[in-house]
Amino acid sequence: MAHDHHHGSYLTPKGGTLATVLDWATTVDHKKIGVMYLFAVLFMFFLGGVAAVALRTELWDPVRINEAGQVTGQLFGPADATSVATGNDIYNRLFTLHGAIMVFMVIVPSVPASLGNFLIPLMLGAKDVAFPRLNLLSWYIYVIGSIFAVSSIVLGGVDTGWTFYTPYSTSTDADMMRVVYMVLGAFILGFSSILTGLNFVVTVHKLRAPGMGWFDMPLFVWGLYATSIIQVLATPVIGITLLLLTFERLFGIGIFDPAKGGDPVLYQHFFWFYSHPVVYVMILPAMAIINEVIPVHSRKAIFGYKSMAFASLAIAAVAFLVWGHHMFTSMSEMASAIFSGLTFLVAIPTAVKMFNWIATLYKGSISLTTPMIYAVNFLVLFAIGGLTGLPLATLSTDLHLHDSYFVVAHFHYVMMGGTIIALLAGLHHWWPKMFGKMYNAFWANIGAIVVFIGFNVTFFTQFFMGVQGMPRRYASYVEDFQIYHQISTIGSYILAVGFFIHLFVFIHSLAAGKKAAQNPWGGLTMEWAADSPPIEHNFAHEPVCTHGPYDFDRVVPPGWKEADWPVPEGVKPQLSGAELTSHKGGGH
Amino acid sequence: MLISSFAHALLSASSMLVLSTGTQEDGLLNSGFWHKLWLRAQPATELARSTDSMFMFLWWFCVFWFVFLMGLMVYFIVKYRRVPGKAAPQSPSHSTPLEIAWTVLPTILLAGIFVVGFRDYMKKMTPAGNAMEIRLTGFKWSWKFEYPNGFAVDSGSSGARIGAEPVPVFYVPAETPIKLRMNSTDVMHSFWVPDFRIKQDLLPNRFTFMTFTAKAPGPDAARMPESIAQHDAQATFSDTTNPIRYKVLPPFIEQLKGVPYTDHWVFCAEYCGTSHSEMAAIIRVVPKEAYEQWLVLTQEKAESGSPVEVGQRVFRANCASCHSVDGSPNTGPTWLNWFGYEHMYADGRTYMADDNHMLMSIRYPAMHIRKGYPNGMTPWSESMLSPKKVDALIAYMKSLSDKAPATTPDEATAAEAPKPKS
Repeated sequence: MAHDHHHGSYLTPKGGTLATVLDWATTVDHKKIGVMYLFAVLFMFFLGGVAAVALRTELWDPVRINEAGQVTGQLFGPADATSVATGNDIYNRLFTLHGAIMVFMVIVPSVPASLGNFLIPLMLGAKDVAFPRLNLLSWYIYVIGSIFAVSSIVLGGVDTGWTFYTPYSTSTDADMMRVVYMVLGAFILGFSSILTGLNFVVTVHKLRAPGMGWFDMPLFVWGLYATSIIQVLATPVIGITLLLLTFERLFGIGIFDPAKGGDPVLYQHFFWFYSHPVVYVMILPAMAIINEVIPVHSRKAIFGYKSMAFASLAIAAVAFLVWGHHMFTSMSEMASAIFSGLTFLVAIPTAVKMFNWIATLYKGSISLTTPMIYAVNFLVLFAIGGLTGLPLATLSTDLHLHDSYFVVAHFHYVMMGGTIIALLAGLHHWWPKMFGKMYNAFWANIGAIVVFIGFNVTFFTQFFMGVQGMPRRYASYVEDFQIYHQISTIGSYILAVGFFIHLFVFIHSLAAGKKAAQNPWGGLTMEWAADSPPIEHNFAHEPVCTHGPYDFDRVVPPGWKEADWPVPEGVKPQLSGAELTSHKGGGH
Repeated sequence: MLISSFAHALLSASSMLVLSTGTQEDGLLNSGFWHKLWLRAQPATELARSTDSMFMFLWWFCVFWFVFLMGLMVYFIVKYRRVPGKAAPQSPSHSTPLEIAWTVLPTILLAGIFVVGFRDYMKKMTPAGNAMEIRLTGFKWSWKFEYPNGFAVDSGSSGARIGAEPVPVFYVPAETPIKLRMNSTDVMHSFWVPDFRIKQDLLPNRFTFMTFTAKAPGPDAARMPESIAQHDAQATFSDTTNPIRYKVLPPFIEQLKGVPYTDHWVFCAEYCGTSHSEMAAIIRVVPKEAYEQWLVLTQEKAESGSPVEVGQRVFRANCASCHSVDGSPNTGPTWLNWFGYEHMYADGRTYMADDNHMLMSIRYPAMHIRKGYPNGMTPWSESMLSPKKVDALIAYMKSLSDKAPATTPDEATAAEAPKPKS
């Protein structure tokens, strides 16, 4: 065993409370930074979630005037006609808040910055990321950006939607500074994203363990590598766009203002040139997690390793060419046709990944642990999210469905059913490694099931609404849609209960969880060769890569005894490569 | 060529599917339980019908793949569940022929869907050569229709409402190709008619177009109320089986009694601020003759009443966007106390605003430009504003001045006292 008990775990406090806080605040340890990101992201997820539940509550019975002239539905204001406008304004600020937090502060950084930071060096057998100080800087930039964005809410809120479309965003709101704060917040957050991406690209190129070629890397690393490339290439575009928007608001430079020869549609092009690739910044890391969870809990090599790796890169490449499909109703027919065709191209590598995952299950040894339940949730929800993308990519049907609740449901299936559910799969998979504690599997499973039910009740209903004519971003609606809205609202409450179950499971685990084994699931990637939780320098000796990440049928995982690890007949099991230590010493 | 022949195969496959699901209509995917579940209302144009076929085809396509993939997944999870102490049997971890097959197959299917979708899209986007052009303006937070004869309908012209706002009702003739020439006067909006399955954004800096040919209202458009007049009188009509999905209050047009019609919601689909969710309208499809009759009747109605009343209506429809009647600043000069006073003009002279001066300002606005205002007003020719309307407008302008000649008690009550803007 590679246990070196004279090294403390990275979680061991350094002296008193103040010293410990200082230690965390100035740490350059990728694991601590990953954990700090995780808690920051979960806190923002809570904020965005509160906004979401408030939205759904308003939609239960919006403030409206009925045909008798009475005001009904008075959640946000007094009962008079002006409360309709007030109710609408509050609703508009809430959905902007929800969208901006969930996109810029939760989903984009969620997997790469938390699990990615924690795991990439461990999986590569490295001591840290390539630029540890830059890594800490990116965390502080994230915090500053979040404070900027959230301060706009404290000051009264922004009602532009998270997309900040011009000319609305340049003309709304007497106090223009709130829009500027929010936009600058997103601008600053972009730098955090770029720095993280840059760090990962260099880490993957330079810090792989001896013996680890490109195709020996775990697919999690491949997925995050593709993600990082998009982050580095696309994020500067949103930076420039948001800066231009700020200049437009503050100085009236006129690049988006038709009165000065500008073009408001240009903003949409700029915006989606970033924001579409960023959709894949959100989903590729989620796929990357599933690529690890399914093989480990099925004890089966991932099917089609190379096609998985290339599918990630293909998605990243095509991601840059499909931004126009957000604008089918404001572009020329020619442009729409081209973007529609390119959009269908993205579906191909995505379908390949789906087939590969399911083929991986074939002849496996499948155990429905909490991470695996979440992986199955992911496959179901992502399949729905992916397939419902078809009527949106098809021009004739998109002309009807564009900007309707169908779109809302579709991207929640992909972004939440995909990314957030995969984050939960990954969190339950690596929680023992991160904190050295097990969680109560029974309650975690209950939580997973409640989340699954709540999610589908909330969002499947919205497909029907959208097809029948319910536009998105509506504070109010015609009565026909009320029943769907109410079912959806009930679903959102169930979903909230599910997340609270998880919160309690995690708190209970940290406070009173059983000590986790080094390798509870039998994973073969290098992070499982480290202690749970890992020591400060990750590995006592530099590990050497001697087998592929998914050779479950011939390698005994680190931390497991040969007798406990069944292998197919006639196979002479090999000990995990991490057991062999190089004596070159820490070479980084 | 291969792709387009595949596209045809796809379409015929979809019609075959219909035959098997059983329909009472013309053999498309457009009726029966599933169509009703998804789309509820019947499509109101021919092209909407083909969009529905595409949508329902995609629905069954998605159902097929979802059931197939998830079925396999569940089967594998149950069949290959972990047995303690037993290893997973060895199996290949990749298979080039299989992987090529499942890359190529979706490529072909998706190419087919793309082609059919593109073809229907082009049909929906291309107006017929003889289409009647209606001008549509979007603004915060309503819509305005201007008919080819210059008659305009804008917000609040009916009592129908969504949320706090009364919504306009736009009459259009059935079975007539219509082309909307659209733009916005402020931020972006998007004109969505769910029953037509189309939407198009309205931009402030360029025209966009939308075209549709509404089906004639008839027995197949679900059950019709007896007449518009009766419907309006009942005022709380609501029937979930009917495509008319709202409650509507008058415009009361006695002469159109017994005329069948269908109503279609219009929603704004591009977020535009506070009352975005109330930016609705109703498109009312009536037979072509009834439409002609309606145009005449509403024109007449617009010209009935005292001159001040008519003038006020003309002002609201045509002038209120640039001129105020309460002294508040706007693009053009206010009409409050315009008549009967001398005003300074851009040429440095003063003119007395009398009847003749007002007439000239309407017909030839560039003749005299008030000091401090742009020379931007449209000259209102006789075809745009009838002499009767201009007289009415002048009567209204006079009523806004404290130099106005004594009015009869009738006219005094008719003209609404101008309210100061809050």
